Amino acid sequence: MNPLTVTSTWRSLGRLREAGIAGVVVLLIVIFGSLNPLFLDRDNLSSIVVSVGILMILAIGQMLVIITRNIDLSVGSVLGLSAMVMGMVGRELPEMPTYLLILIAMLVGALAGAVNGILVAVARVPSIIATLGTLAIFRGLTFLVSNNVQVDPEDVADEMQDLASSGPLGIPWLVIFAAIVVVLAWWFTTRTMSGKRLYAIGSNPEAAEMRGLNVLGMTFGVFVLMGALAGLGGAMYVARFATVNPADAGLGFELAVISAVVIGGTNIFGGSGTVIGTVLGTMLVGILSNGLTVVGVSGFWQRFASGAIILIAIIADSFVRKRIERRQSNQTMARVR
Amino acid sequence: MSNDAKPHEPQTVPASNSRRSAVLVPYLPSIAIFVVAVIYGTVSSPYFLNFSAILVNSGRYVEIGMLALGLTLVIINGDIDLSVASNLAVSAATMGLLLEGGVPIQLAALAALAVGMGLGAINAVFIVGMGLPSLVVTLATLALYRGLAQIILGDHAVTAYPEEFIGVDQVSLLGDIAIVPMPLVMLIGFALLFGFLLSRTNFGISCYLTGSNQQAAKFSGIRIDRTRATAFMLTGLMAGAAAVMMTSRLGSTLSNVGLGLELLAITVVVLGGTSIFGGRGTVLGTIIALFAVMAVRESLVISNVNGQVQDALVGVILIVAIVVPQTVTRFRERVSTKRLR
Repeated sequence: MNPLTVTSTWRSLGRLREAGIAGVVVLLIVIFGSLNPLFLDRDNLSSIVVSVGILMILAIGQMLVIITRNIDLSVGSVLGLSAMVMGMVGRELPEMPTYLLILIAMLVGALAGAVNGILVAVARVPSIIATLGTLAIFRGLTFLVSNNVQVDPEDVADEMQDLASSGPLGIPWLVIFAAIVVVLAWWFTTRTMSGKRLYAIGSNPEAAEMRGLNVLGMTFGVFVLMGALAGLGGAMYVARFATVNPADAGLGFELAVISAVVIGGTNIFGGSGTVIGTVLGTMLVGILSNGLTVVGVSGFWQRFASGAIILIAIIADSFVRKRIERRQSNQTMARVR
Repeated sequence: MSNDAKPHEPQTVPASNSRRSAVLVPYLPSIAIFVVAVIYGTVSSPYFLNFSAILVNSGRYVEIGMLALGLTLVIINGDIDLSVASNLAVSAATMGLLLEGGVPIQLAALAALAVGMGLGAINAVFIVGMGLPSLVVTLATLALYRGLAQIILGDHAVTAYPEEFIGVDQVSLLGDIAIVPMPLVMLIGFALLFGFLLSRTNFGISCYLTGSNQQAAKFSGIRIDRTRATAFMLTGLMAGAAAVMMTSRLGSTLSNVGLGLELLAITVVVLGGTSIFGGRGTVLGTIIALFAVMAVRESLVISNVNGQVQDALVGVILIVAIVVPQTVTRFRERVSTKRLR
């Protein structure tokens, strides 16, 4: 089989997909906008952008993890833990500069990610099990660290809260951070050798190992990166909500994040996935949940809708994938003959 | 309990140790955890071994155990079902709604079982019928089913359950002679049934073969589609049954019933030695692990440890229980390959 045709058909599949999700996003905006003009109101749009921004930071990390044929279920708990630690440091040392606080949150996240990375890469615990365990462990740690006392808005410095509402040219810093993460991830996955190796590891870990790729190191690295991004997400969570409750900061976030990644076309079995797809998937999830509220659909329908959208995405995906695979194998057969 | 360790043997490492001791190896982590937790609990409080407390508390674990029994089949097949707790919620909501609509409780309970099985069948249609990955499908139905329960019930709480239906967890099989909690008896009944299914029937053998190597099983004439679909439907049925048990224990139904139980149920299955990659696992292991988790959590409850911290410790146990035996196996393999050279 000629590897060039394979990659080009996969690429065209990817483009078709991305166009499809972009179409759905536009459609949703039109529908919500015509049902309730308030949806397109400035305040509502900026609220969408901010919540999509936080989700995006985590979704990019999760995409990289899933590309290596792993998964991180602990992201919501890591977000909660790093938000809590950062919030407490800010409470005790009010004069600490904002950027240092963000770095602390990212450091806490990276440490948590390193625990996941060691469990998965070194101890070889399947990632779904390891992070199922650390999901509970990091949540418990958040309780122990905080002694079950929440961080209140008066404990969060104004400069920190401003990150979610203001910035250069009126663009909130939170959104700029998310954009930087997206651009760096795009550059990493499409323009660097290590990025390509990530896909190689996910497509076939054994083969990658035999080719001499540092599977252990890269898997570990990708979990640490995921942790650091969840930490950044935690900092942005504090900026946006100015409150950290040990019981519900980031609770259930893993579902929204994984949905966004899967809707964005990343294969849950690793080896494929694009930054653009993930960006679109995140926008779809964010717009859907905001739009349903604005349009006045009872909150009870939201969870149902988010489940349905994942199902539709994967069904459409497998349908297109099967057709392309069939065409590919026909072409290969023709060439062999 | 049933003797269902048999399908293990082809999988164990060709170590030179005696077979008899090797059979117990997969259960050692949970047995050790159980013993340690019981000792800790007994030392820290004289009330730990209080039977009426065990009676009151066992109900919760029985429901987790019922979900875990179904999940054992699904995971042995190499699949996963994250939607069990949401399925439980829909089944309970349907039962409550029917009851309020004037349907007798017996019929409503039967309907809960049917709904549970039906939702399991829907999972199977997507996963087996359409060939979609079970992790993603059940992640979606986890949200979808929970949403359905919320749509059915809204903020409404169903409380109109008849007196005689409420409180199965307070019933003792032998009355006052000896406290034998009814739910526990039922769980053991279910466990024997599932143990029999797995170790004594063609369906059970198909499960192990499907989970070890789906392609090979297919080419050997195993009906893998039917095996996998059956496992999902049985899991759904157990979720429906757990919904009935839970409703009887709580005496009311809210749309958030059983939220998050899937994590505990999966923890129990994996702790019990079932391989998350399929092909390996036993009902006995799941039941031992259930008691281990129960002992740990109850001993923590009695020493006033916060709920989230309890969950965290169960998480630590899950990871340790996997890492330690795996490291031992790898070490042994290294030794035995050296010997071969």
